[in-house]
Amino acid sequence: MKSGKIPNQVLQVGFVFLLVGTSMILVRQHFIPESFGELGHYRADAVGVIASHEIQFAGWQACMECHEDQVAAKNNSFHRTLSCETCHGAAAEHASGEAEEDPPLPTGRALCLTCHRYLVSRPTGFPQIIEELHEPAKLCHTCHDPHDPTPSERPESCSGCHAAIARVKAVSHHAPLDCEVCHEVAPEHFLRPRSNIPRKPFERAFCGNCHAAGVDTPANFRGVDLTAFEVPKVDQDTHGGTLLCWQCHYQHSPEAR
Amino acid sequence: MNPAHQAQLEAALQQVTGFIYPNEAELHWSILVVIYPYITGLVAGAFILASLEKVFKVKDLQPTYRLALLTALAFVFVAPIPLQAHLGHPERAFEIFLTPNPSSAMAMFGFVYAWYLMVVLLLEIWFEFREDMVRWRQQSRGLKKLFYWLISLGSRDVSPGAVAFDHKAVYAITILGIPSAFLLHGYVGFIFGSVKANPFWSSVLMPIVFLFSAIVSGISLVLILYYITTLLRRKTLDQKCLNALAAFLFYALIIDLSLESLDFIHRLYESEESIEILAELIFSKLFISLAIVQILLGTIGPLLLLAFALFTGLPNELKRLAFFIAAIFVQVGIFSTRWNVVIGGQLFSKSFRGLTAYKLELGGQEGLLTALGLLILPFIILYVLLKLFPPWDDARTDTKPTEG
Ligand code: HEC
Ligand code: HEC
Ligand code: HEC
Ligand code: HEC
Ligand code: HEC
Ligand code: HEC
Ligand code: HEC
Repeated sequence: MKSGKIPNQVLQVGFVFLLVGTSMILVRQHFIPESFGELGHYRADAVGVIASHEIQFAGWQACMECHEDQVAAKNNSFHRTLSCETCHGAAAEHASGEAEEDPPLPTGRALCLTCHRYLVSRPTGFPQIIEELHEPAKLCHTCHDPHDPTPSERPESCSGCHAAIARVKAVSHHAPLDCEVCHEVAPEHFLRPRSNIPRKPFERAFCGNCHAAGVDTPANFRGVDLTAFEVPKVDQDTHGGTLLCWQCHYQHSPEAR
Repeated sequence: MNPAHQAQLEAALQQVTGFIYPNEAELHWSILVVIYPYITGLVAGAFILASLEKVFKVKDLQPTYRLALLTALAFVFVAPIPLQAHLGHPERAFEIFLTPNPSSAMAMFGFVYAWYLMVVLLLEIWFEFREDMVRWRQQSRGLKKLFYWLISLGSRDVSPGAVAFDHKAVYAITILGIPSAFLLHGYVGFIFGSVKANPFWSSVLMPIVFLFSAIVSGISLVLILYYITTLLRRKTLDQKCLNALAAFLFYALIIDLSLESLDFIHRLYESEESIEILAELIFSKLFISLAIVQILLGTIGPLLLLAFALFTGLPNELKRLAFFIAAIFVQVGIFSTRWNVVIGGQLFSKSFRGLTAYKLELGGQEGLLTALGLLILPFIILYVLLKLFPPWDDARTDTKPTEG
């Protein structure tokens, strides 16, 4: 090898790299779809492909024309946020009048239980049932109209949705206290619970209204006469330190004795 | 649900404690994802060991230089396979080369890997072995001759000038290679460290901890391989080389342990809301694999053993045995380190209120057998490489081949 000349081995390796490099470029050119990157990090033509899919779902507005009753019922019920086709399946063909068969009527218990079976991870207030205990072996629609599912005996109170809390409270020392004694609840909470969250007590003084030593047991606390009860008293300033009362006593079922 | 899956889920649910979210019962990253950082770590570690000899001129390590390079090569071939096997659609992985998305750390792995394999490791090995390949070609017949001719890219020039150029090239590539190896394994740590949602992983120290554990594992693997191959070839072990390997292993272990302790103390001091569940995790589900295997057997034990062997007047035979045993324990320890990070990080609920369990399957795409296969595969590749490119000094050019 002479100095000043590119060494042979560099040429050989360079050649291989050139080969690999060009073949990669060729492969890329061959495999990358033409429209890739035009609109973003994806194949722009995909938009057209997806748009050309046959439409399967019509949307609830489409049903209005012929099934006014069901639409009206559903839109004023707890199921107002559901779409008709969530339960009846894709019905675009039916809505356009071309289908030979009517959409199915999902009358089994299974469909309802997808959403209403009791699960710990569901949010508090979501109506849930334990399948084995709730009218077993009867079809749900015999009692609940799927388009307006409020049960035939509409729960007048909070227990319809907060059943667990209501049940616990009913057998607790706080049984004589209605939920509204401690929670200010707007009537809209019954219709749109999540956008009208009731107020919860937030300070120790609230429990002190009844339990602070030196305070007479109220004869009318938000409509409840408590004089018949022996309300136990504590020194609100020292009892339990600075912690909130419900950090030690579960408010819906307080225990001390 | 598929009955087999249901049975599996039920078995997993029996192990659940506290509250977990419904999608946390089953782990998504299986043992294959444990093997992936383990193997990449070995690659990076073996390479960094090799560069000690080249760049930092640690002459004592010369007998392991080429062995370390081939080890790195054998393992780097296998490194991406566990990830591929873990994917439902392995073929889609190649899309990252076609349409790379620079904002995806996972996608960048493809490039880091390709760079490391093609530009660093293969090139360095090619220049290092070129002279020998030319000679092996001259000495062999038939297919083997053709193979050496192909693999040496038809190279013939073994004049002193050309060989000197090879050495310079190797040196330059090694210098480039050190940051690349750091990148390769630092990147793996980065993937875990950047998962914000997981307090067990999310830590800036993660890449650095990964890197040093990689160095530890690489050195100990080469030590084991050097020990075994030399004995199998009925040659004598170079005591100076073993001493140097053990000393480096010892220092790397100390750095590794300090970094991990730093990470640990930092977490304790910060005491974020996750600390309680992490403590519970460490004292229940991870107690054996972390406290006993990783820390006691995999770190403290080897440290004491190495210190005892290095700094007392032990006879050489015993010293060597002690090094070997320490290295084996280090491997076990590093494997459980990977296990604790990957599996441990998925065992606690994001609610911080409960723990789930990992049930290792025997067969199947992500089972124990696949994992064992993937752990054995690099050794088979290494065996072939050692046959084709004997790295031993006695196989090297003693008589200079004639031009042609
Ligand atoms: C063009 C009018 C029209 C539109 C729009 C329409 N339907 Fe119908 N639907 C009918 C007719 C007619 C029947 C048959 C009634 C019967 O058999 O008594 C029917 C039957 C049904 C049935 C079965 C009733 C049964 O008793 O078996 C369901 C369910 C249904 N439609 C759902 C839908 C849904 C959901 C939509 C909106 C996506 C929709 N329909 C839109 C006209 C329409
Ligand atoms: C929660 C699931 C659910 C939703 C949402 C729902 N349906 Fe139904 N629908 C049912 C079930 C179940 C039946 C069968 C009831 C029965 O047989 O008594 C039914 C019956 C019907 C029928 C047959 C006549 C009747 O009233 O029994 C029509 C028509 C119908 N649904 C249309 C609609 C339309 C239109 C919408 C949207 C506005 C809608 N459904 C939304 C579950 C649903
Ligand atoms: C025999 C009639 C009957 C049947 C059948 C029935 N329910 Fe009910 N359901 C009721 C009544 C009455 C209430 C209100 C009283 C109560 O809260 O228990 C109710 C309440 C509910 C609630 C609110 C419960 C709460 O605590 O918030 C849900 C959810 C519910 N039902 C779902 C279902 C589902 C799903 C099915 C079918 C699997 C079903 N029901 C079958 C009569 C019935
Ligand atoms: C229609 C069903 C329903 C009825 C009836 C109902 N709630 Fe609710 N409630 C909910 C839902 C849903 C939430 C929201 C839960 C969430 O976001 O986690 C809620 C939230 C609350 C909260 C606040 C919880 C929080 O974490 O801030 C309180 C308090 C409450 N309800 C009290 C009541 C009381 C008292 C009544 C009776 C006067 C009542 N609710 C009746 C459904 C209901
Ligand atoms: C003695 C007063 C009191 C009564 C009576 C009471 N609550 Fe509460 N409730 C509280 C307090 C205090 C909190 C706040 C606890 C917290 O912030 O952690 C609360 C919280 C809640 C919550 C949100 C937390 C949770 O446990 O899910 C709901 C929902 C609720 N109450 C519903 C009800 C309902 C329904 C009733 C009637 C059946 C009721 N409460 C009766 C004091 C009361
Ligand atoms: C409107 C008045 C009223 C308010 C407000 C009230 N309580 Fe009570 N509480 C009662 C009455 C009445 C009893 C006793 C009922 C009985 O057992 O005779 C009681 C009993 C108790 C007991 C004793 C239970 C036992 O084991 O004997 C505790 C503890 C308690 N409440 C805690 C609380 C806490 C905490 C709060 C605030 C979230 C609170 N209370 C708010 C009326 C009230
Ligand atoms: C640190 C925990 C803690 C906190 C916070 C706390 N308590 Fe208690 N409370 C207890 C315990 C424990 C008992 C039962 C032992 C006793 O009588 O002291 C008790 C007893 C009671 C009793 C029954 C007393 C009797 O004579 O039977 C009442 C009423 C009560 N608490 C109300 C409250 C109220 C109201 C608050 C908030 C102002 C509150 N507690 C805060 C721990 C706590």
